[in-house]
Amino acid sequence: MHELSLATRLVDRAVSAAASHGADHVDELTVEIGEATHINPDQLRFCIEVALDGTVATDATVTIDTLPVCARCECGWDGRPERHDLALSYAPDVRCPECQSTAALESGRECRLKSIEIPEKTQRDTSETREPAENNDNNDNP
Amino acid sequence: MNYQRSQLLEQELYEPVDDLTSLWRFSVSRLPSWSGTWGTLPEIGPLRAHRFGHDHHDEESVSDVEADVLAAVRQRARDVHEVLSHDNDVFAVEFAGSTGGGKTMLIERLIERSPDDEQIGVLVGDVSGEDDAVRFRAHGVEVQNINTGKECHLDPTLVSEAIDEFDLGHLDTLYIENVGNMVCPADFPLGANRRVLVVSTTEGVDVVRKHPMLVQTADVVVVNKVDIAEAVGTDVDRLRHDVESIAPETPVFETDARNEHGVDALKTALESERTHDHEHHHHAAE
Repeated sequence: MHELSLATRLVDRAVSAAASHGADHVDELTVEIGEATHINPDQLRFCIEVALDGTVATDATVTIDTLPVCARCECGWDGRPERHDLALSYAPDVRCPECQSTAALESGRECRLKSIEIPEKTQRDTSETREPAENNDNNDNP
Repeated sequence: MNYQRSQLLEQELYEPVDDLTSLWRFSVSRLPSWSGTWGTLPEIGPLRAHRFGHDHHDEESVSDVEADVLAAVRQRARDVHEVLSHDNDVFAVEFAGSTGGGKTMLIERLIERSPDDEQIGVLVGDVSGEDDAVRFRAHGVEVQNINTGKECHLDPTLVSEAIDEFDLGHLDTLYIENVGNMVCPADFPLGANRRVLVVSTTEGVDVVRKHPMLVQTADVVVVNKVDIAEAVGTDVDRLRHDVESIAPETPVFETDARNEHGVDALKTALESERTHDHEHHHHAAE
């Protein structure tokens, strides 16, 4: 699978973003992945955590949000396509519910670093003043 | 303890801010709890299918491409397309599908049907080995072999490096044979003019339903080994029906590459697509 190479690139971006903002620590990074990709959220999280090791974001909380698929048809219809009921794994039903022609995906193929969180005070902010990492189960993909 | 922190949104991630005070706009208190809404993110641009050379207006925005790893992959594929198709007038056809489905033999059959003066290159992706490359070289075409090693698919960066090895100015056609894989290539367009997905009857009657998203990225589906469909209990009409349902309007060709059945029709269709793209580019250039 390609999760490791994607994770490496996401981590590179998080680290360089932290560096460009003068942060020596990253508390959390949030990644968005589209539902119409073959990226496994659990594998991606594992790979990101491995790739974070030894960086300024070593113990960052990794949050992964799944983005739904949206499609638009030339007839003017737009919305979230149904899951295709014939397919044995997830695929959007790209047939337009209004006119039956093929609708184009507008979103659902993302794999992007949405945000990072850095401490407000980046200078010598020692660990004993930190809150423990927050449980981040509210946004996880099941 | 009310621990303050800054959250950097997408735009800030890629545009270093000069004035650090602007970061405080995103300062938040994480306690007691936050809603998870951080303002509005930029709209996501429309996503392209794997077909290149038609609509040039629906590019993803620069910020999306920088922020999104897969959008960056798609941009790299567009760059490959630009070099091959626009700069060098090379018609590139990618073949994707399972190991053992007949991709190599189909490409060989297409090469055999090409006029003597057609300059053909083949880019072969395999996890390891030179077996396919050796077969193509026997046809007298120029071959570049990409051993992906750890990766289970070709990606447009590997392709862009490999095409540098060809004399593109003299090439008419480039066949790209992807690694045998029915999953990952769905996320990785390569920049070819067309993607041909090869499924074979030996993969079972549910092969299309099992790999719907790869089918949706294909421009053409080939059902190969139709000569043994009955023997292996695969209903080719069912495969056709599944393709039409999951990826409407995608043309389906039935072939028996080993015995050379159905290959002419595929060749004719691809040549027609070549002409279509060629005319499109010349119109665009005028």
